[in-house]
Amino acid sequence: MERLRYFIQRTIFSMKQSPLLCSATIGTVAIALMLLSFFTLIVLNVQNLTKQWSRDIQVVVYLDQVPSQNALEQWLEEIGTYPEVEQVTYVSQHEAFERFRERLGQNKDLLDGLMPEILPAALEIGLKENARSREGTESLISLLKSNEAFHNFRYGQEWLDRYDAFIFLLQLTGTLAGGFLIFATLFIISNTIKLTIYARRDELEIMGLIGATPMFIKAPFMAEGAFQGTIGAILALGGCHMLYYFFLKKGLAALLTTAAAENVHFLPVSVQGGVVLTGLLLGFIGSLLPLRKFVRI
Amino acid sequence: MIQLFNVGKIYQNGAPALHDISMKIPDGDFVYVTGSSGAGKSTLLRLLYCAEKPSRGQILMGERNTTRLRGRNVSYLRRDIGFVFQDFKLLNSRTVFENVALPLQVQGLSRHEISTRVYQMLQYVGLEYKLQRKPLELSGGEQQRVAIARAMIVNPRLLLADEPTGNLDHELAVEIMEMFTRINETGTTVLIATHDKEMLELFPHRTVILHAGNIVSDITPEGVAPRTEQEEN
Repeated sequence: MERLRYFIQRTIFSMKQSPLLCSATIGTVAIALMLLSFFTLIVLNVQNLTKQWSRDIQVVVYLDQVPSQNALEQWLEEIGTYPEVEQVTYVSQHEAFERFRERLGQNKDLLDGLMPEILPAALEIGLKENARSREGTESLISLLKSNEAFHNFRYGQEWLDRYDAFIFLLQLTGTLAGGFLIFATLFIISNTIKLTIYARRDELEIMGLIGATPMFIKAPFMAEGAFQGTIGAILALGGCHMLYYFFLKKGLAALLTTAAAENVHFLPVSVQGGVVLTGLLLGFIGSLLPLRKFVRI
Repeated sequence: MIQLFNVGKIYQNGAPALHDISMKIPDGDFVYVTGSSGAGKSTLLRLLYCAEKPSRGQILMGERNTTRLRGRNVSYLRRDIGFVFQDFKLLNSRTVFENVALPLQVQGLSRHEISTRVYQMLQYVGLEYKLQRKPLELSGGEQQRVAIARAMIVNPRLLLADEPTGNLDHELAVEIMEMFTRINETGTTVLIATHDKEMLELFPHRTVILHAGNIVSDITPEGVAPRTEQEEN
């Protein structure tokens, strides 16, 4: 208990004693983590956006002949049981014709005089979220091919390839840049804390001489690092929220539409907790690394 | 009892500091280690408090072989040793009271016990009225008395002092030496590395003279050489 009191006192006293170095450490953590948080915010929002795009991924099966009511019901039931399928809808020739007419907009009169039968009936199959990829689509098509009536498929192959490549690139960039940012942050924090420890190396030497164990010497520094890391992380979240509010939310609303800006969200609570925990750990490890060099008994 | 058996020290840059040192220091002894600069005085002290490991030989303190100690066991050994240095090695950001209290805080004693013992110790060195001062507000002699109080607060079995009077004028040096004599009279072994010949004459005790890392003389004030390991066998 006495030791705990001593550690807390030393941590507070040490930060009061060198406010400049303390502010430098907190500032470094705050700026580094703000960069990391803002980057995460962008990646998460882009991922969220692409998830919305992926809802449009569907397989369309064009039918050579209009199926009988019995056959159609049987197909709908069977296709609905496939693991990749979220929903399946029958689009009759008339519906297809009406959709086409709508899409033509002002030029819809081009279709005047044509019969709806010029367009084939189709089955539109929506995919479950985990199947919205090239593999998921191909797996579904191989199942569908078991029915001889299904041989004409459209599923936006090129678009799907580009979508998969984009998602891969996004994940790769996120992992690489995030990892790089974390290491850069750790390096910067470690060096800033090293300055603090270097300024107090006499204290470390004296503590060692009077019989303090390595852990007793290190503990207040590590607590200080963890505390500064946590404060820095909270400031980083505050700064990131300001960037999000003024730059992303209001900026996008002015540039695009209010509806587009409403799809942009701030970091979820779990990620915010992760940022604070990262700050704490970065401060802790950032102190531990230089201490290993300076505290040798 | 401190025993050194054929202790040698060669630094990493290849510079030899001590050669084949063997000696015994019985409990309660008062020993000077003297010699010119570079003779190996400070190295010998550093070996005793495990700041350095000997390149060869063994050092026994009581029944502990200090050459084999690592990490926290070194810390525990140092709790039995008091240190006094020429440059005082006080924490200038802390008060006199906090400096003297430090070794007790390290040992996890209660605040009440720490306060009582620190006050008593500061009374012993005559600085109880300056307990809230910072070291840089004190004279050199007073700072050395604070260092002695910090060293003695844990009732060490051994007091090591490296040139403790080097930064002090004659009067203050005498005052500090009188304090070491009083400490030795309570049973604490005192080992002082110094080249202050005046103090050696004023306060005569067993004197080990080092030259280029070798013991060239080891005599008591009566002119008797202490018995070596070989002689005892």
